[in-house]
Amino acid sequence: MKKKPGKKEKTRSKEGFSALLRIKDLKYEYIRRDEENNVEGITTAVDGVSMEVKPGEFIAILGHNGSGKSTLAKHINAILFPAEGTVVLDGMDTQDEDRLLDIRRTAGMVFQNPDNQIIGQVVDEDVAFGPENMGVPTEEIISRVEESLKTIGMWEYRDASPNHLSGGQKQRVSIAGVLAMHPKCLILDEPTAMLDPRGRYEVIRAARALNQVEGITVILITHYMEEAVYADRIFVMDQGKVVMNGDPRSIFSRVEELKELRLGVPVACELGWELRKSGLPLPEGILNRKELVEALKDIPHKSGGGAAPATVSEKPEPEGGMKLIADKLSYKYDKGTNKERCALEDVSFVLHPGEFVGLIGHTGSGKSTLVQLLNALLTPDSGSVYYDGADIYAPDYDRKALRGKVGMVFQYPEHQLFEETVLSEVAYGPKNMGLDRKEAELAAFAAIKKVGLEDECFDQSPFDLSGGQKRRVAIASVLAMKPELLILDEPAAGLDPAGREELLSMIRTLRDEEGICVLLVSHSMEDVAELADRILVLDKGKLLYDDTPRRVFAHAAELEEIGLAAPETSYILKELEKTGWELDTEALTLSEAKERILEATA
Amino acid sequence: MIRDITLGQYYAADSVIHRLDPRTKLVGSLAYLISLFLFNSPYVYAIAALFWILVVCLSHVPLRYMLKGLKPILFLLLFTLLINVFFTKGTPLFSIWKITVTKEGLKQALSVGVRLILLVLGSNMMTLTTTPTRLTNAMEHLMAPLKLIRVPVHEIAMMMSIALRFIPILLEETDRIMKAQLARGADFESGNIFKKAKSMVPVLVPLFIAAFRRAGDLALAMEARCYHGGEGRTQYRPLRYRSRDLAAYLVLLLYLGILVAAGLLLKENTVPWTKAMLDHAAGISVSMSEVY
Repeated sequence: MKKKPGKKEKTRSKEGFSALLRIKDLKYEYIRRDEENNVEGITTAVDGVSMEVKPGEFIAILGHNGSGKSTLAKHINAILFPAEGTVVLDGMDTQDEDRLLDIRRTAGMVFQNPDNQIIGQVVDEDVAFGPENMGVPTEEIISRVEESLKTIGMWEYRDASPNHLSGGQKQRVSIAGVLAMHPKCLILDEPTAMLDPRGRYEVIRAARALNQVEGITVILITHYMEEAVYADRIFVMDQGKVVMNGDPRSIFSRVEELKELRLGVPVACELGWELRKSGLPLPEGILNRKELVEALKDIPHKSGGGAAPATVSEKPEPEGGMKLIADKLSYKYDKGTNKERCALEDVSFVLHPGEFVGLIGHTGSGKSTLVQLLNALLTPDSGSVYYDGADIYAPDYDRKALRGKVGMVFQYPEHQLFEETVLSEVAYGPKNMGLDRKEAELAAFAAIKKVGLEDECFDQSPFDLSGGQKRRVAIASVLAMKPELLILDEPAAGLDPAGREELLSMIRTLRDEEGICVLLVSHSMEDVAELADRILVLDKGKLLYDDTPRRVFAHAAELEEIGLAAPETSYILKELEKTGWELDTEALTLSEAKERILEATA
Repeated sequence: MIRDITLGQYYAADSVIHRLDPRTKLVGSLAYLISLFLFNSPYVYAIAALFWILVVCLSHVPLRYMLKGLKPILFLLLFTLLINVFFTKGTPLFSIWKITVTKEGLKQALSVGVRLILLVLGSNMMTLTTTPTRLTNAMEHLMAPLKLIRVPVHEIAMMMSIALRFIPILLEETDRIMKAQLARGADFESGNIFKKAKSMVPVLVPLFIAAFRRAGDLALAMEARCYHGGEGRTQYRPLRYRSRDLAAYLVLLLYLGILVAAGLLLKENTVPWTKAMLDHAAGISVSMSEVY
């Protein structure tokens, strides 16, 4: 399969002028059929898309969930075939069956779920899978495996089991697996959607390096705007059509249109846009923190460095006593083996009625263990949890009733759905709590209303709903038990920007209207900063901070050391202060930051 | 953590045993397992145990790690032991209430127990020192003649290796789903067996859905990486017999020779209780040697 070097040179120079990928009027329909194979409905996933990609380009395709971006990507390496139109990759029509393997080798693809695309039991065996299928001679496979793993920085993990790697590392192994096929084009289909911030950074950095150093064409499908900033060109998709197309600067200056498409823009970009709207003379299309600070530097402002912090009205200490007390909780994994390690160590805190508390820490800090201790899904090695004054690990304590009062929504809760209709799904919890059918359905009815689902959903199968709706059903199924304390583990993970915002505002409404105490577990500082009254920071099983967002984020440097960060807005203000602005740098949300800057320029 | 279960879990180390060709280990393990059934004599078991200890020493796998593999069969082991102790007729030793413990029963139980333990330890030896991929690779090779009668050997091997890769993931998923349903007030413990079975529905349905979703994703990922069946496939680590494999086969033969010799020679000198059984075992071994 190896081409002679001379020939390779020649083809490359010829391609320099032509496109690597040419899509013309592509149309694709998903046809749903009922049990008798009659057509039930047709969804046009991709509708008349045309695009050209030149060799060596970094392309980002943006779009909300269901906009057709993944379907489009699957046409590029002949996993799906066009209903109408053509896809030509490196001179090969993807409908040409004889060249199927050549096409798939030319455009390698990395998928969303890190667990579901690793075939090998050991890292290097997985990387070898592609070349093995292509019939590459053994000696060359060995050198390709080494070369790809070294390029991606995973060589020292070559003998590891994929099960022991982090999400970001698994995705890098998958990228290496594609690289070993020597592709001209790398398609990344939402590779970071299921990763934590650290993993996201690793994967995007790897993709950029491949593009810049190795000259591989990268097509990145994502709904994280921050990742698209690095692209040469961005395509924005909606309802199967390309609705915007251009370089990042021109795309991100159209903030309003993007928001209408259920997309967001990077924080610095949005802040710049807001400030411009308020009359500051800023250029259009600011992409990052550096550009924003640079642009603001020369605008007339109060100067003198280190302004007196404005008096911010902190929320008064909540009254009404303590709802839940965690007292010196410790928990160890793999007890009694050589792999014993501390998941939690001496963690103590208190939750008050009606409070909104954020719990942050990077993957492996013990967050999930901690929340599972709070409703007795795990039992601590030492310490205890008191709920309404009673020890929940006492032998005669009714833990089933406790789980009704301390509601727990796990990560990706839609994966726990099992009933035939939404109503019976949501009624499952209340029934377990001992309510009769009618009462349970009433409770379910109320809960479904609370999460903002339409009446039509009640009798539908939960599996027919969209991803965001499924998640709401799963949350309703916990809410229906009428919890007094609601624990949510990364409730917005995997949703698109608009979906995230809707879900988080729903949770805020729940707290405000129902007075439910909320404990929100998250990686996202922006979410926690905006919503929480108080923040708990966990690192390596220890509780590092337990304070108001303002006071926690004042420790930005310490947070960075443990793989976390303060919200982007507070960095922007701090950098402005360094350039000589006089302003209060304690701003947690975008609107607060905007006001601080406007105050300083007034 | 569930992901660390020993089932088919490879213990990474660099040792002679690890480097052996998986076919050697597969054949060796099979021979070892068969050897346990040739004779029923404490001497033979002692030889088998010694051989196992020798291999463990060579393998660099910590003994504790190996013994951990016995945990899953602990119940089975106790059960067979008790059955044998209580239900073998013979010379009564002592009796408690209506149960009489006989000398024969105790001995029978002991030999069955030792045999069971060695069976598990012997097969664990192979799975701990061989990655499942190499193991399936070996099976694919050893079963290759079956291709002639249209057995899809490559597909079976691929299915096995994928199953092995996903077992830990699905176990973890089961744990997660069970916890999620517990948090919704599910009760998996109380009630009779029918109620318990019914209470598992909320776990099994999401688990099946998850398994199918993963299978779909995996199929796509494999296709995207040019998988098109076994035809024209090359191998990253093709199986090649080396001199150490020859040595291993010789050691294996030596072990079998000693074992058979001990089994036959020590037959007359053994304590009376094994005599009858040894006659029986010798019968088997004769028929086995006829097979060879």
